[in-house]
Amino acid sequence: MATFDSENAARLHRELHSHLPSDPALRVKTLESLAVERGLVASETVDAWVEAYSEHIGPKRGAQVVARAWLDPAFRKRLLENANEALKEFDYQGSATGHLQAVENTDVQHNMVVCTLCSCYPFSILGMSPSWYKSAEYRARAVREPRQVLAEFGVELPDQVAVRVWDSTAELRYLVIPQRPAGTEGWDRDQLAAIVTRNSMIGTDRDLKGEGA
Amino acid sequence: MDGIHDLGGMQGFGPIPVKSGDKGFTELQDWEKRMWGLARSGIAQGVTIDWFRHGLERMVPSDYLSFGYFNKWCANYFMLMVDHGSISMDDVKRGHLLEPWPAAEAKTGADIVALNAKGDISFLVEGAAAPAYSVGDRVRTLRTPPKAAHTRLPRYARDVEGQIIAYHGAHAQPELGAQGLKGGEALYTVVFSARALWGEEADPRDDVTLDLWESYLVPA
Repeated sequence: MATFDSENAARLHRELHSHLPSDPALRVKTLESLAVERGLVASETVDAWVEAYSEHIGPKRGAQVVARAWLDPAFRKRLLENANEALKEFDYQGSATGHLQAVENTDVQHNMVVCTLCSCYPFSILGMSPSWYKSAEYRARAVREPRQVLAEFGVELPDQVAVRVWDSTAELRYLVIPQRPAGTEGWDRDQLAAIVTRNSMIGTDRDLKGEGA
Repeated sequence: MDGIHDLGGMQGFGPIPVKSGDKGFTELQDWEKRMWGLARSGIAQGVTIDWFRHGLERMVPSDYLSFGYFNKWCANYFMLMVDHGSISMDDVKRGHLLEPWPAAEAKTGADIVALNAKGDISFLVEGAAAPAYSVGDRVRTLRTPPKAAHTRLPRYARDVEGQIIAYHGAHAQPELGAQGLKGGEALYTVVFSARALWGEEADPRDDVTLDLWESYLVPA
C-alpha cells in the first residue's frame, strides 16, 4: 500500500529525476508500458478516455449550461443553489463537479477563478483546462494583481466593477456565469451557447459578443 | 509544508501565456493526451486526492517549475506507483516488467462516458462535529500552518482577517487525507479584502475568497 510518507515521496522523486529520460513523450510511453504490463489498465481504455475528452467532455457543455441559465430563470436558480444537481439535467455531472458552485457576473462584480496550490478545474463541464490556467504565472499573479492579469486577457472593467477572485483551495469547483450580451434577444439556446467562451466561464473573458458586435 | 507549489502572490513571473497556452484538448500532443487518459484510468493504486497532491508538492523543486503540467503528472504517477509497490524502481529503469501480470479489461467509449458521469464524488463526511462558526462571522487564519506535511492553507492567506460567506458541511480533511487517514471537518468559504492580503498596492474594490477548513481559523 501507499506509504503516505512525505519524505519517501521526496526521495523517490529525486531518484526518478536522475533515472527517467528527459523527453516527456518517452517518459509517458514508459509509464503506459509499465501500467499495462502490471495489469492496471489496457491501452484501449486510455484511447477511450482520450476520445471522451476529444468528443464529449469539453467547454461546450458549460456553454450549454450558461445559455440555459440565461433563458430559464428557474434553471438559473437551481444552478446557483446546487450546480452539480442542475448539471444532472444535462447528464454533464462527472469528474470534479461533485461540489460545483456557480457564481454570476453582474454590472458591479466580476468573478475570476484560480487554483494557486495546484490546478483544480471542473473537468466534466469545461473539459481539459488551458495551459495558461495551469501556468505558474497565472497561479502566482491572479490573486495578487487580478486587474493586470485581466488586462493581459484583453478584459476592460468599467469603474464600478469589483473583482472577486475565487481560489479553489478545497474540493469546491467554480463556474462563472458571464452576463448575456445585448443583441441576443430572441436567440435560442444553441445560438447563445455558441458565443459563450471557455475563458468567460473561468472569468478571464467578460464582454461576450452578441449580434453586430 | 511551505513548498514550491504554493505560488499564490509570488512575484517575479512574467506575462500569462494567454495565446501560447490556450490550446484545447484535441490540439495537445499525443503524449499529453495519453497522460491524461492514464490518469483518468486510475493507475495509481491506494491514493487519496491529497496524497496525490502532496506527491506533486514533493517533486524536485526545479522540476516543479520547469515541467509542463502533464510531465509533472507523469513524474508523480511514477512516484506513486513505486511508493505503493505496484512497480519497483528497477522496473522503471528497465522500462518493462520481468513478469507481466494478467491484462486489464479494455473499456469501451460508452464505458468511459458512464464512468466519467460517476466521477462527481462527494467529499462530505458524515458524523463530524458541528461547525463552530456561522456565515457572517469574522475569522482570522493561522499564522503558522498545521504541522502536517500537506496543507491547503496557502502562505499568502495566513494571519489575515476575513469573513465567512458560506458553510459547506464537513469535508474530508486534507492534512489527514495526505496521511491516508479519514476524517471530516467544517469547510467554509472565507472572503478577504484585497487590501487585507496585499496592503496598499491592492485595489480597494477587490477581494479574494478561499475555501478553508475550520482548524485553519480562529475567531477574529
